[in-house]
Amino acid sequence: MGEGPATIGIIANPVSARDIRRVVANASNLQIADRVNIVLRVLTAVHSLGVNRVLMMPDRGGIRAMLSRHLGRERNLHHQFPAVEFLDMEPISTVDDTFQAARLLQASGVAAIVVLGGDGTHRAVVRELMNGDTGIPIAGLSTGTNNAFPEMRESTLTGMAVALHATGMIAPEYALAPNKLIEVSINEGQRHDIALVDAVISHERHIGARALWKTESLHSLYLTFADPEAIGLSAIGGMLQPVGRRDPGGLAVHLADDGASAGVLLRAPIAPGMLRDVPIAHWEPMPAGQAFTVPLQGGVVALDGEREMPFDAGDRVRVTLRENAFSTVDVARCLHTAAHMGLLRHPSQPHRRHPSWQATRSP
Amino acid sequence: MAGNPFPLSKAELLKAYRTMRTIREFEERLHVDFGRGDIPGFVHLYAGEEAAAAGIMIHLGDGDRIASTHRGHGHCIAKGVDVGEMMLEIYGKKGGSCNGKGGSMHIADLSKGMMGANGILGAGAPLVCGAALAAKYRKKGEVAISFVGDGASNQGTFLESLNLAAVWNLPAIFVVENNGYAESTSRDYGVAVDSYVDRAAGFGLPGITVDGTDFFAVYEAAGEIIRRAREGGGPSLLECKMVRFHGHFEGDAQTYRGPGELDDIRANHDCLKKFAAQVTAAGVISADELAPIDREALAVVEDAVARAKAAPLPTVADLTTDVYVSY
Ligand SMILES: Cc1ncc(C[n+]2csc(CCOP(=O)(O)OP(=O)(O)O)c2C)c(N)n1
Ligand SMILES: [Mg+2]
Repeated sequence: MGEGPATIGIIANPVSARDIRRVVANASNLQIADRVNIVLRVLTAVHSLGVNRVLMMPDRGGIRAMLSRHLGRERNLHHQFPAVEFLDMEPISTVDDTFQAARLLQASGVAAIVVLGGDGTHRAVVRELMNGDTGIPIAGLSTGTNNAFPEMRESTLTGMAVALHATGMIAPEYALAPNKLIEVSINEGQRHDIALVDAVISHERHIGARALWKTESLHSLYLTFADPEAIGLSAIGGMLQPVGRRDPGGLAVHLADDGASAGVLLRAPIAPGMLRDVPIAHWEPMPAGQAFTVPLQGGVVALDGEREMPFDAGDRVRVTLRENAFSTVDVARCLHTAAHMGLLRHPSQPHRRHPSWQATRSP
Repeated sequence: MAGNPFPLSKAELLKAYRTMRTIREFEERLHVDFGRGDIPGFVHLYAGEEAAAAGIMIHLGDGDRIASTHRGHGHCIAKGVDVGEMMLEIYGKKGGSCNGKGGSMHIADLSKGMMGANGILGAGAPLVCGAALAAKYRKKGEVAISFVGDGASNQGTFLESLNLAAVWNLPAIFVVENNGYAESTSRDYGVAVDSYVDRAAGFGLPGITVDGTDFFAVYEAAGEIIRRAREGGGPSLLECKMVRFHGHFEGDAQTYRGPGELDDIRANHDCLKKFAAQVTAAGVISADELAPIDREALAVVEDAVARAKAAPLPTVADLTTDVYVSY
């Protein structure tokens, strides 16, 4: 583990948190200007801990344009930033941009990818990384609507943790954490996708405006983790039977057709500002590797909050939980480790300061 | 197949397709006729953007009002303006929607709630505030919708209207048709904050961004926004990301486009193809049921052109009519 020229990637989705939930549920909207500020804070943080090059996804949603203007101003002010290069790709303003960026970042061998977006953006990045199997970790920053997967955290701190990992100051066994995911397969893999938090089966059968918020249409939920502190459909599981992000197994929740036939009527925060009564028939643990067959004849599978995979009667839909599927930078652990090991202390006399003081203190 | 998965009946789906196909045929025909020098003035074609007009207007009645843009043919057709009268108008002939004195950028039909295409960017938004204020007083649950391009959204009139609509809690809806260009200027160079939802948020209005080439995405988002406005929930903004198939105006050489851009949008972002693929894949409508609509839309347009070519021009005496309104 050495210093090496540390490079990280950033994928910042300009269009997360723009969907219909702003109108049906007062969900918030993180403005482009704030997303750019978040990126700028990541850049300064990683640079001051030794990351000198950052590769970024270009976009046609305003982040690249505004960030470029900002970086020009910051340069005029002689502020310190890593070299920022936009990936050589032509953005088309769909999720394909995220796939392509993840692919290019993977090929360029970055040490980690910082992702700004909601559950959906993170899912897209992970889906692409799984194809490459290089084990590049991601560090998520929540800028979406339903944010069960990425953390709500000051981006400076996430940037620091990413740099501690990327520069080798903290070894992977301390810096990274394993995550679960759910695989969805229709007709033995004819169609195939993943969810990081929830694969939800709905009676609705078209994709439309994508977000899923009508609880009367829900049929069942398959959850990698169920956190009572989470917002979104996974909160239904969180309020029934919490399962931690790092615990083994997941949770399957089966809904009843109506309140009368329900074993439990549960009130849960299924979207920001939206608590709904959900009739629950029963719930059960989801052991890793065991395929669950969806009994519904025709519907849509929503992945991490968005309607994605419509299916017809006769289509065979199976969901399977996988453990240790991909890794994330464990920001809390990195920062605690840095404190514990004194990684960010350095000699107070300027003449004794070694330019690569970081590397001399790796664990 | 287990029934219709869409939130519209089969008849409504066919109607939406007919609207989009009629707009497409109308615009593709104007592209040809303008090139031949048959049409006076200027035309800006809506081809490629049909799903937005159709997905929004299908929620409206004649009592709901819209104000359109310089690229207004699609809005007119979707709002129910007579295609024959539109063609007469564009050809500058008597009997047109405005008796041939307005042309492409000034088609209006108040009986259909179409307050007019508009050659002045950003001019529709204040008109819509007025119409929405009237609707608010009439208390019949009517709404007013302003269409604006990504470029025109930089106009002060548009931003002032967002403010006014918010302060007065008007049943006004602002649709930003974001096709990526204002004439030849990419929005990267012309729009400081390239998110219209952000702009709306600056005035405390909720906003939604949708794929404007997906009829069903537009339909669902517009439905919620319009329902909210009808019920007194006030103004909102809907950003439709879309593509324009032709130049800014007819005759535009489009040297500002990227290599392969036009081929790509026609191949992969054609809202009509997407719609047809979705409804046929779901087994709700067969290709054989769409084909006659294609033929009929073409026939309607051909008939409109033939009649427009044959119709007389306005006379000198017509110059002084329709100048003042008597109350
Ligand atoms: C007030 C005003 N300024 C300038 C123009 C000239 N003009 C006509 S269309 C256009 C670009 C409009 O772009 P956008 O609003 O994105 O609409 P689009 O053409 O892309 O549909 C301009 C600058 C005008 N008609 N009105
Ligand atoms: Mg435009």
